[in-house]
Amino acid sequence: MKAVKRPGVVALALALTLGGGACSRDPGTPRVRPLPKPDGSPALRGGGAPRSPRNASYTIEATLDPANHQIKAKQTLHWTNTGETPVDTLPFHLYLNAFKNEKSLLMRSARGELRNIKVNDHGWGWIDVTSVKVGTAELGGRFKIAPLPPELVPPPPEGESHTAPDDAIEDETVAELQLLEPVPAGGKLDVELEFTAQLPEVVARTGYKGEFHLVGQWFPKVGVRLGPPGAERWECQPMHANTEFFSDFGVYDVSITVPSTYVVAATGVLVSATEAAGGTRTFKYQAQDVHDFAWMADPYMEVMSGQAKVEDGTVEVRVVHRPDQRAFARRHLQAGIGAIEKFSAAYLPYPWPIMTIVDPPPEAMFTAGGMEYPTLITTAGDSALSRPGIRLPEMTTVHEIGHNWFQGILASNEPMEAWLDEGVNEWADAKVLSDLYGPRTSAIDWMGWQAEYAALRDAIADDPASIPSPIASTGFAFVDSRAYFKQSYATTMRALRTLEQDVGPSRFAAAMKAYARAWAFRHPTGSDLIQSLSTTLGQDLSWFFVPVFQEVGGLKLGVHTASCTRAHKPRGVFGAGSARTRVSATDAPDTGTYVCEVVITNTGSWRVPVDVALKFADDPSPLRLQWAEREGGSHWKRFVVKRSTQLTEVIIDPERKISLDSPVEHHYRLEGDGAAALRAGAWFGGAAQTLMQLVGL
Amino acid sequence: MASARHLGLGDLLGAGVRGVSRYTGTVLAVFVVQSLVAAGCMFAVASVLAQTFAHLPMFDEAVDGSLAALLWCLRHGSSSFLAIGGLLLGAVVLWELASWFLVGGLCGVFARHPEGRADTARCFGAAGAATYLRYARLAPCSIPGYVAVAILFALGMSVAAPRIEHALTLPQLLGPLVLGALPALLVLHLLWTVSDHARVELTLRHETHDPGVVRAYLRAFGFVLRRPLTLVHTGVGWLLFLLVTTAYAYLAQGHPMYGAEGAITLFFVRQGVALLRMAIKIGILAGQVELGRTRPPPPRVEPKTSAAD
Repeated sequence: MKAVKRPGVVALALALTLGGGACSRDPGTPRVRPLPKPDGSPALRGGGAPRSPRNASYTIEATLDPANHQIKAKQTLHWTNTGETPVDTLPFHLYLNAFKNEKSLLMRSARGELRNIKVNDHGWGWIDVTSVKVGTAELGGRFKIAPLPPELVPPPPEGESHTAPDDAIEDETVAELQLLEPVPAGGKLDVELEFTAQLPEVVARTGYKGEFHLVGQWFPKVGVRLGPPGAERWECQPMHANTEFFSDFGVYDVSITVPSTYVVAATGVLVSATEAAGGTRTFKYQAQDVHDFAWMADPYMEVMSGQAKVEDGTVEVRVVHRPDQRAFARRHLQAGIGAIEKFSAAYLPYPWPIMTIVDPPPEAMFTAGGMEYPTLITTAGDSALSRPGIRLPEMTTVHEIGHNWFQGILASNEPMEAWLDEGVNEWADAKVLSDLYGPRTSAIDWMGWQAEYAALRDAIADDPASIPSPIASTGFAFVDSRAYFKQSYATTMRALRTLEQDVGPSRFAAAMKAYARAWAFRHPTGSDLIQSLSTTLGQDLSWFFVPVFQEVGGLKLGVHTASCTRAHKPRGVFGAGSARTRVSATDAPDTGTYVCEVVITNTGSWRVPVDVALKFADDPSPLRLQWAEREGGSHWKRFVVKRSTQLTEVIIDPERKISLDSPVEHHYRLEGDGAAALRAGAWFGGAAQTLMQLVGL
Repeated sequence: MASARHLGLGDLLGAGVRGVSRYTGTVLAVFVVQSLVAAGCMFAVASVLAQTFAHLPMFDEAVDGSLAALLWCLRHGSSSFLAIGGLLLGAVVLWELASWFLVGGLCGVFARHPEGRADTARCFGAAGAATYLRYARLAPCSIPGYVAVAILFALGMSVAAPRIEHALTLPQLLGPLVLGALPALLVLHLLWTVSDHARVELTLRHETHDPGVVRAYLRAFGFVLRRPLTLVHTGVGWLLFLLVTTAYAYLAQGHPMYGAEGAITLFFVRQGVALLRMAIKIGILAGQVELGRTRPPPPRVEPKTSAAD
């Protein structure tokens, strides 16, 4: 009998350890926390005048039903027509409807899954606007889902005249309110809405996972009027897998009611916290000069905080985390403080008093983590594999905090120009990470392996020439999400690093700072960035921006040939008739001079100036040359050099200024050296022997 | 001859130590063969890499620890690294085939205790040659077991995957990983121990009892299940193997060995580790032979005679 029982005991132990192991992370029963004290600081650091037009402000009263992951809310939009033309229609984003069903543009463009996660049957999200009032007039009947722009409606399948109803996109992420009377230029309008928001089980940026609630893009948000005075138009794009968000600045006064056991973190500052009926609490937040409002509610979170010192004061940095993520929270806090300080110094001081970093629980890390909202970000990277020195958590925190400048303050149009926040932010992140963790170890410093953030991003990036969508494509126009991510993030960063090295890092940093200060709390476009950089740097940058950002292509530099011959006087037969003479090798012996010929090629379509260094035997200082291949001309350049010693190495771009090309073939030595190959061979030989001993004798 | 029930773990380990110390030359000779295969693999890999990277100094940076350079080189020389994978696989398969001969030879030596180099060499060669094809036929007997191991491994990993995915600490990561793999590893351990004992029987009894391969395998299976000592004994061997490997990895951490001299040093340091591990494996084999000699022989297969005879 014992023999029968033992396997059962072992199996039970295994099952408990493996399957029931979640118990080891069970945070226990939620408990009522002490009522938090108000932050006691103005919503803008130091108070002062508004920084933005504040033409789209919101007052919202929201109540979370955590059991059903549902929010019931009343909202008043205080909107000002800052244009010169009257407005008779207001478009609103209803982002949560992107998670309503598989017919939404988001789901169709994501092919049914986001961040590799499929929506569960019970995990759909939606938003119902139940009442719309202007003054006392109920306008619910005039609040209607807007049709998709024609360019986003896919054509019917090949050979078919129309799209079958089940295959058609029925997107409900934009609704339009037909007003009873137009709002004149400079006029103000208050619109009261009541809505119910059903959070999705989080697949991207917003939703719940267990008792963790990340509430983003959750309220009807008015579009943005853009365009030259007198010819304004609405910008209110539907939600697509390759697009993020765009909205106007304003003041947000938001009351959030949750069960007393819940910890809340939100955009802005906590103005008051009061006990409410039915074992609930109401937290009132205010945020100024922001263009979005997000919040988090979770019964198990705790807070770790520190101070970042900026030019004109301090910023409180808070990490909201579950208890078993405390070790990672310390890393996020350190990275957050460093990021606030470095971004503030490089561009303009962080204007708000608090930065909240939400560290989602591991099961929501991939889907809720890594998202930016004003003064509140979600981070990611907490994993057993993120050993100290593997800076994935720090990289995520720095990136998302960087978005508080590149999109939070410089509120560019993410759906239409994703590169302007994602790529520019990536470029800025690389510098901040390098400052914080060292230039060679900004991404990895672990077990003898080191990697710089930008170099690592370069190494895993696709060749831009292999992506059939230029960087400056709208989110909808990328061939797929991979192309969107690669071009908007990595290629943009690589392009800006290349330009930065061409014009000089300090000049470029000053130009970026000037751009940030000029366009803070406005809606800059890519053209504005290019114009600002060109003005500050005093040069027309279209030679770079036009091909690299607006055309498909890439760089492909290489050493075509590199060889030396001994110099000697010309040999052969010279003259004619009786004057013909013959000069032999004896008559014209080799001299001590070498004639070295190097041909550098660029088989890509983009052009950048290229530095070349030639190293010669017994000469420690390389010969520096330049191929000023900027605008047109040949795809190759021949250099002929006479020296007293042999050419040993050709180095294209010795300072590694060019980030847009693989550097492997940029450095070429004429005489092969197999030492590194032998060392790698020894490693592989040892690995083979270990394998041999595992399977054989 | 000691009775089987009187042999304990200490006896088996002691037999291993005696066997390795008595036949040091044989152990070293076997190790030299393995080193030659490993060295061949090393030079073949180095040659492939040199073909691709000898003129590209970025590979030097990669080998010196630059992760970005390594990634660039992996992308640039992906076909070379694929070829290296093939070389490693080839070396392992070659060694597995050679192992059948070498294990047969070692079993023969430990069974017959020859004296002197010449006798030992003759005994080694004769035993290895005599049992090679039997060992080759024995190998497929383990295939159903390996299929079961693969299934168990997949099941274990699927159970452990959610924990691994959300692990925050190394114990949270390694615990489910090890436990998920444990059932498969235990069955694999059983299969390898059974194979070892089947080989021992094929070596010890092939002249006198001519046991069939399948019968020897099944008898070994029963023997191992009846005598958990066999599993403990080989388990101790694997534990020592793991300890030596881990100790080397720990000590080698943070000691880069640059240049060609570094490559040679690396190779020789690794040979030291490999020699120690091989001595452990051969010691375990000697213990298995000692135990195998105490096992009752299989039923003798009488030669068939025709009626006319």
